[in-house]
Order: sequence, then structure tokens, then C-alpha cells
Amino acid sequence: MKPLINTILTLALLSGSAMASTNDQNVDMSTIPPRESVQLTIYNSEDLTLVRETRFVTFKEGVNPLQFSWANTLIDPSSVDLRFLSHQGELDLIDTTFPHAKPQMLYWNVNSEFDGSALVEISYFTSGITWAADYICISDPDETKMSFEGFVRISNHSGEDYAGAQIRLVVGTINLVERVRDLARRGVISQTEADEYEGGRRNRANMPAAARQEIAAGLAADMSMANEKTIVKQGLSEYFIFTIEGTETIKNSWSKRMRLFEGTDAPFRIQYRYRPAEYGHQMVRMYLLRNDTASDLGTSPLPDGMVRVYKDNDRDGLSFLTQQMIKYVPIGQEIELNLGVDPEVIHELVRLRSWRDNFWFHDTNRRKHISLDGREQVTRNFPVSGWDDHDRWVERIRNYRDQPIDVEIRRSFHGHVEFESDLDPTMHDYQSPQFSASIGSGESEDLAYHITTHQGLLAKQNNVTLTRPE
Amino acid sequence: MFSRKRTLTFGLAILASCSVLEPVLAEIKLITLPPRERVEIQLDHANATLVEEERIVPLAQGVNDVVFAWTNTYIDRNSIVFRCLTNPEEIKVLSVESPPGQNALVWQVFAPEAGSARIRVSYLIGQLNKSFMYRATAAPDEKSLTLWQYIRLHNNANESFGVAGMWPGFGERIERPIGINETKQLLTNRFDNVAIRKKYTADLSEYGYLDAGKRQLRIPMHYVLKNDERHGLGQFPLKFGKARIFQDDGQGTTAFLGEDWLQFTPRDDEAALYLGVAKDIVVKRNIERREQERVRGQLYDYDIIIKYEIENFKDMPATLDIIEHPSAIRNEIRGNTGRPVQWDLAGNDTLGEAYNPGDSESDRLVFRVTLPERGDDQKATKIVHTLHLVIRNEW
Repeated sequence: MKPLINTILTLALLSGSAMASTNDQNVDMSTIPPRESVQLTIYNSEDLTLVRETRFVTFKEGVNPLQFSWANTLIDPSSVDLRFLSHQGELDLIDTTFPHAKPQMLYWNVNSEFDGSALVEISYFTSGITWAADYICISDPDETKMSFEGFVRISNHSGEDYAGAQIRLVVGTINLVERVRDLARRGVISQTEADEYEGGRRNRANMPAAARQEIAAGLAADMSMANEKTIVKQGLSEYFIFTIEGTETIKNSWSKRMRLFEGTDAPFRIQYRYRPAEYGHQMVRMYLLRNDTASDLGTSPLPDGMVRVYKDNDRDGLSFLTQQMIKYVPIGQEIELNLGVDPEVIHELVRLRSWRDNFWFHDTNRRKHISLDGREQVTRNFPVSGWDDHDRWVERIRNYRDQPIDVEIRRSFHGHVEFESDLDPTMHDYQSPQFSASIGSGESEDLAYHITTHQGLLAKQNNVTLTRPE
Repeated sequence: MFSRKRTLTFGLAILASCSVLEPVLAEIKLITLPPRERVEIQLDHANATLVEEERIVPLAQGVNDVVFAWTNTYIDRNSIVFRCLTNPEEIKVLSVESPPGQNALVWQVFAPEAGSARIRVSYLIGQLNKSFMYRATAAPDEKSLTLWQYIRLHNNANESFGVAGMWPGFGERIERPIGINETKQLLTNRFDNVAIRKKYTADLSEYGYLDAGKRQLRIPMHYVLKNDERHGLGQFPLKFGKARIFQDDGQGTTAFLGEDWLQFTPRDDEAALYLGVAKDIVVKRNIERREQERVRGQLYDYDIIIKYEIENFKDMPATLDIIEHPSAIRNEIRGNTGRPVQWDLAGNDTLGEAYNPGDSESDRLVFRVTLPERGDDQKATKIVHTLHLVIRNEW
């Protein structure tokens, strides 16, 4: 398969006096300067990649028309920008022309005060290049430490091969007012946008901040590429950038996966949680660790990605435990991995008794009854207007594991509720008490509490109050 | 493209070029195909099957392209884990690529020196599923049974694994050949002398009437197995699966009694296998008394007496669980209010002593009574029990 290169920079050899507005001549001669370097800055929150490529272009003194075309790619025409990295004082971009009949092409007229070669940088946005993170965790047999490896996978469906590219990956959410893919498909830019090119310079005020900083940083950047295949992490404004040192070739329709980091001995703890609002009506087993240096991690935030968790089964193999998506984890934040229900830990929620008391009545229903012979009877059939509901619950937990387990119960109650227990509960929020317990190996425990719900007239609040048994 | 005769291909591409892309794209190439040295199939996860295979791969000094390709199988490509077991500190995976339009991964593996390395590839695979089934033979007296537990491996993954080790998540590891598109049934455990209890249940809410006109309840019969050591089990939770139950007929053969789904049963829990309706135990249930007493205003207590007339026509004693749901009683006598039921046992009935609080909850009351066998005159003794219940504070 031949390499696919669709973006072409052409130096048109036209008559010196002809400043190309649109090249309407039928006989042309042109040279095609190759890429010297290319850098991809890929954003994972949007379908957006900033491409910055450099080429050596030989100019003659006077006006030099340059043609840049990008057939069958997903480049945003309004984002294409030309800068001079050498001979900046001797080169001037006079104007930029977008021919109406050729939507994936533009012309630059460059005035040169010298004859010779200069390094130019062309930058543009393209869609179709994405990256995503994923993680593989392998717990040791004792379930006290795990290896935690992060990877990035870059997929290229932009229509363009990028050979020998320096790759930077941006973590964070940027703001775009239009999708690059839509702009690329639109083909012909609007008059308003075309006006911005008068003078040869695109007004970049509306570019995403990170992209602007990228371009600015790139002007001063040393374009030499490192050779080591490590990934450098650095913060940038509200974003985080992973730079893959050296260069990579990402061909169109291929994807490539590389290791982002590796934590070999990340300590973690196990907790069993019953939180119906988060995990449904089941007690789940959690691996909890922290993205910090104490956990052999913490070199960067963890981008959104799929985590696959395995355990060394101590029989020279692995056991698959779970896979789940995690959201962005900043440095220092806890990572929660939900392993699901554990068949060795049995949880039952049992309502032992229900009763009611403290009744109040609404006295507005006095009725007078008269019999045929004139006797009278008054009934006061007034309805219930307030009462207290009582429910006695136990969380019955049996632990068949060979280790004690820590459990945490968090339930939410609606209405005016008193939560009475000697389990030292605390409030997670105004309606969600929570408490913890440790259950020994082979033991069963009933964690009991009493719920009083004030109803009707007696309901003065919509929250939970903690009380201790008298 | 790869030339493949098998559905899974593991190749080491020997290249003239050091380009990492060439192994998949080049027209002329040499690929070594190291065979599987070991296959382990991990069946311990409830919903996923993990395959681990090891191969000995010759590596040249420097960067090697190791290709793993598959067709017509259900490998989750995102789950594939590559680990080098030989010199893992030195032999490193630099990156992995996915060629377009192919089910393949190309690992770039760096080796500090030439030599063979044992590598292990782990992946989740679909259509390689397991299920459990049970066969039980009850003793003639129906007080114990022998239980066989089998695992069935259904290999529709379109791949032959050769001799593979399997671990179902408990018990011993099993090693058997697993052929393509075959189902293999393997005995995982046998339990002798498992003590069982025959349970007859009278529960109107759950099982309804056998004859509604006569208020005769449907009485199901279950074999109850307690999953603990005292009853001959208790080594691990029993997995969900179909159980077929036979009985030793005392003549050297067995008779099929029925089958049921054995539900997932944690240790110390009971598994109840439904075998059919017991028509020799007749239970008629009537609400004999319903009196309401106004507490105040529209607030009422209800005084309820439920009468059970029970006859055991069997020639052996039986244990009957009578189960009542106070909310169902409330709904029956005054309609559903949607509120939990506040109830009290009045205590002046015959079922009070049979109350089993350990198995009861707020809305499920369990009473366990013993029924004598049919008399010598072939007549059953009619036993009458009453349950006196007060349902409080309804409106």
C-alpha cells in the first residue's frame, strides 16, 4: 500500500508579475516542498486535532504564489495558517485566496525580499484523529497491591497519513462553537470568514485557548525531535498535555496504543458498599486506591477511560474481575473500582417490624343524624391528619472470606425522618445517613436501626435527624 | 493480508525493514507461527470468560513485531493483555498497533538480545460459555441424597483450544481438550449423604388455591438442601443451574421425580427444589373472624382469626410451613392502603407456639407444624389450627 498524503503545498512557478488571485491559467509548473516535520496535538474532548507542519520553501525575490490543498481530508479551511519560522523580516504574507471552484485549496501570495530557502509553518485543525486512554490493573493474590498501567490509543481516520509525527495529547474540555468535521465538510468558507483572511492573517481570537497557546508555544519550540519513547506530562492552563517523545507514524485508518505510565505496587484497600442510589440494591465490592505518588501513581491526571481489572489467581494465571469506565481522576483523587457483587459476602436487608403511633386527627367532620322517630345522633368521623411510621431494619451481613471486611452502608430516606442507631452513623447529605462496620471472617452481623417517619401534620421537615437509642 | 488456516494466528514477523508497519502491509514476508504451549480458561467470572495462552516466541535482538490475529472468533480486542514471562524486566512492549480492517494486533517488542521468550496473551472471549447442572438421587426414605455437580462448557467461539486447563472458580482445576463447536460436560463435584428436608408449604399469596371454591390451598413439595457442612455441603456457594432429581426405588434403579432450577445458594443458605404439588396433604384456609374496632375517628384495629383444617393422607409424618403475609391479609379484609402493616399475634391461638421468628420478617410470618401420618384405618387425622392476628391502626 502506498503512503497516503493528501495535503500538498505547491510553489507555483508563475510569471513574476502575476499575483495569483485565483490561478486561472491552463499551463502551470509547480514544485512540491516535502514536510520537514509534523506535530499533532490531539484533543480528546472534541473531535479536534491541531496539526502543525514545517516545510522548506525556496522563494524568489518578489511575489511568490503558494498553493495549499487538502483533498479528501477533514481539515477545517478556516483554520489554515501560514507562518515564517526563518527570514521573518524578509517575508510578508500579502493575502490568502480561497478559490470558489476548488473548496479544498487556497493560495497564499508571499512577498519575498530575498532569493533563497525559508522554513515555513502551516497549522490547521483537522477532525478524524482521536485518542483515548485505557488502563489495566492486576491485583496481587493477597489483594493488597496492584500494578496499574495506563495506555493511550491514537486512531487516525482523518484521511491523511502522518509519518514521523510528534504527538501531543490534550486532556481537558475545550469549547468549540462549531465542529471541525462540519467545517471541513462545508468545503467553501463563508464571506465573513474569508474577510478575516484579508491581509493574509486569520483572526485567531475565537480559537480555543489551548490551541492558541499551542501555536504560540510552537513558534519558539525547538523542532528537533527527541528519540526516547517516553511520555512527558505537563499542565497547561486547565488542560494537561501528554507529549510522546520522539516521533510516531500514524497511518490513515490505523490505531496505535502506547503505555502512558506504569505503577507497579499501588496499594489499595477493599471496601464493601451498600449504596442503592449509586450501585443499585446490592452490596458491591470496591477496590479503592489513590492517584498519588504514595500509590506509585500521581504523575498525571487519569483521563477518562476503560479500566480492566484482573487478579493474579495464584495458580500462574489471571482472573478477570471487572471492566468499567472511569471519569477524569485528578492527581491526588481516589480511584474507585467496582467489582460487583461478591458471592462470598452475603447482604440482606430485612425489615423486622413496622408500626405506627402518635396519631392526630382532623376535627372538621361533625355530622348530625336524625332517625324517623326524631332521635338525634352526632358522629365525629374525623380523619387521621398526622402520625409517626416506625420501621425496624437490620442489614444482615455474612462474611465467608478468609479476611475481615469493611462495609459501609448509605441509604437515603425521604420525608421527615429520625434515624436511631448505636452504629455511630454520620450524614452523607441531608437525607442520607451512613455508617461503617467491620465483619470478621466467618462471622455474621445484624446492623440494626430504627426509622421514624413523621407523616401528615407531624411532617415539619424533609430531612433526616440522627438520634441514639435511649 | 495474513494467510490463515486457523481462526487464531500468532505470528512473529521477520522483517528486512525496521518499519513497524511493514509486517501487515508488505507483500513478501516471513512469519513464524509458534504453537500454543499452554491454555488456561478461567471460568470464575459470572459473565465473562478469560482465556490465557502461552507461546514460546523467538525474538531477535532489537525491536520485533509480534502479530496476533483472529478471524470469526469473538475476542474482545480491547481486553487483550500481552505479558512476557521470560525476562520481563528487559523485554518490553513498546507499542501496539491495530491494522485497518483486520482483527489483529501488532506488538512492537524490544528484546535486548536474541533468544526465545515465553509470552502470555490473555483475552476475554465470547461464545465460550459455561453453565452448571446438577443430578441428585434421593434415598428411598427421602432423608438424604447424592448430589453430582457438573459444569458444561459451550464452545461456540469457533476456536479449538486443544488440551486446556479450566477453573470454574471453586474446587479443582480441570484439564481437558476443548474442540471447536463442542459442548463438554465435566463432573466438578460429588456430594454423598447430603441431608435433605421435605418441605410442604401453605402460602396462599405465593401458591394460590388448588380448589378456590373449597378454599383448599395448593401445597407444593420441595426438597430443601442446606448449604453447610453439617448437611454435607458448605464448601462453596452453589451456582445457578438445572437440577434433575431421581429417587432410588429400592430395586436397583431410579425413578425420575422432577427437575427445577437450583438458584444461586450462598453458604449457610437453603436451596429449595420444587418437585410438584403434594395432593396428599390437604389444607383448607378460612378467615373465621373479622371484627373491626374503632380506635378513634377513622382509625381502626382489625381482629382476625384464620382457621386451617389440615389432613395428612401420607403414611409418614410431614412438616408443613404455614406462611402468612399480613399485608395480603389486610388487603383481603379491607383493601390495600399501600402502607406497611402493623400487626400483633394475639397469643390465644394454636399456631403461636409454631411461630418461627428466625425465618420470619415484618411481612412474612412462618409457622412450622408437624403432621402425623395417616392412621392404620387409612383415615387421616384432621388437625385444626387457628391464627389470631390483630392488624392495627388502619384507615
